[in-house]
Amino acid sequence: MSTQQTRPTAEAARGAVQAAVRHVVPDADFDDVDDDTPSRGEFELDSLDFLGFAETLATLTAVPIAEADYPRLVTMATCVGFLTGAGDGS
Amino acid sequence: MRETIARLMARSKREIPHYYLTTTVDLSAALAWMRERNADLPISARLVPAALLLRATAVATARHPALNGFWVDETFRPGGGVHLGLAISLRRGGLVAPAIHDADRLSVIETLAAMRDLVVRARAGRLRGSEMADPTLTVTNLGEQGVESVYGVIYPPQVALVGFGRVVERPWSVDGLLGVRPVTTLTLAADHRATDGFTGGRYLATIDDLLQHPEEL
Repeated sequence: MSTQQTRPTAEAARGAVQAAVRHVVPDADFDDVDDDTPSRGEFELDSLDFLGFAETLATLTAVPIAEADYPRLVTMATCVGFLTGAGDGS
Repeated sequence: MRETIARLMARSKREIPHYYLTTTVDLSAALAWMRERNADLPISARLVPAALLLRATAVATARHPALNGFWVDETFRPGGGVHLGLAISLRRGGLVAPAIHDADRLSVIETLAAMRDLVVRARAGRLRGSEMADPTLTVTNLGEQGVESVYGVIYPPQVALVGFGRVVERPWSVDGLLGVRPVTTLTLAADHRATDGFTGGRYLATIDDLLQHPEEL
């Protein structure tokens, strides 16, 4: 089922998430944002913003993001977990 | 910007005798269709529910022209096309509602592209004068920010405003069987000088009906 692909490191994944948020919210400030804070609420992302975020994230990391994966892109922690493949059981 | 909004909204509440209607719309058919369609597509080509809601509103508005236009000099003037105003909140505060021109002639895909383009340009301060000037009916999708329903204030001289609340899972009965379905609260604020509740009710029923047949949108 799972195809072999290069996963980003946790650090690279974190950087990509920040870059993808900044793609839609250029002045997003992550300094006071907890890893477990939902990004959509924190950065006021509507569904169109989220689409732009997911699109950028997929491009930056080369990790394919299916629509069914959207619920895993909620917080910094869940995004990094998804992108690095943590919890995939492979 | 705050002053402009204050002036317009005060005028709206002072001059427009609003009436409000609301109905709950089952979105399971629309969302199932959307998910199936999105499954094989790259993110850039995927739809979001907001595009379906806006598309259904555009088609319904074309079918109910009494709600599409302006109240000027004590009379209703029909809009010269379905130019849907899209309420967009700006990150630094404030609100704009520029028009998607001839929205009833756009496919669902084109509707989404138009929404994305408008949101990006609205937030970058690059809207055209015509987009700001001529919406014939405004749509607000405040549900994206979490509220379950929105009873809007009409943007004068328009005569109607449509609101969509958050999509929530609710117990729902179909043919006597209870299930859990995604639903949204659809509301209409309309100018009673231009239309009566009967017209507004038929309009909301049309939007609901369209959303039950997403493949035809």
